[in-house]
Amino acid sequence: MALESPLVQAEMVEAMEFPELAQRHQVSGVPQTTINHGAGRVVGAVPELTLLAEIQRALKNA
Amino acid sequence: MTEKLLNEEIARQVKEVFAQLQEPVEVLFFGRKEDCDYCADTLQLAQEIVELSDKLGLSVYDLDEDLSLAEQYHVDKAPGLALAGKDGDQISDYGIRYAGIPSGHEFSSLIHDLVLVSSRDSGLEQKTRDFLKGLEQPVLLQVFVTPT
Repeated sequence: MALESPLVQAEMVEAMEFPELAQRHQVSGVPQTTINHGAGRVVGAVPELTLLAEIQRALKNA
Repeated sequence: MTEKLLNEEIARQVKEVFAQLQEPVEVLFFGRKEDCDYCADTLQLAQEIVELSDKLGLSVYDLDEDLSLAEQYHVDKAPGLALAGKDGDQISDYGIRYAGIPSGHEFSSLIHDLVLVSSRDSGLEQKTRDFLKGLEQPVLLQVFVTPT
């Protein structure tokens, strides 16, 4: 998604190396994707459209 | 000579995958002199990976000394890797980066992302592309992973 839009940033974070950040985002299972610092969240490797729906939900609530 | 992180078999497999590389990709490494347990290994890993294809390049920076560049690429953790497109002298940031050493599962994600950036095409579904085209606010996706 980051490749397609200049507004999207994608960061892969190694949770063990950055435990504070992982804790702040309550990472319980991996992979976990946090959207805009916690406005949205998906746990697990979900289908593309599931992630898309969660991003849309997170943006609406912002 | 330091021992390689990638054994011959892995290097051979990655090289095979890299046969798909299309456009050049520049990997920007951001390290830090202190308090960075994984900087040395991550740098070595990045060096070994870019050696496997002449379409890949590596630039090495310091998160503290090259702060403005790090900010430009939104890198705020060390080790940090940004995967950028390279077209002639032009480096294009796609906002794709790794915080921490990309080992284990993340190693294959990194190889996959290099191929993706090289293709300059996400392979996403039309619905997602349409949404991204109409996007008006920033979206930060942070994918938390563990090495195993």
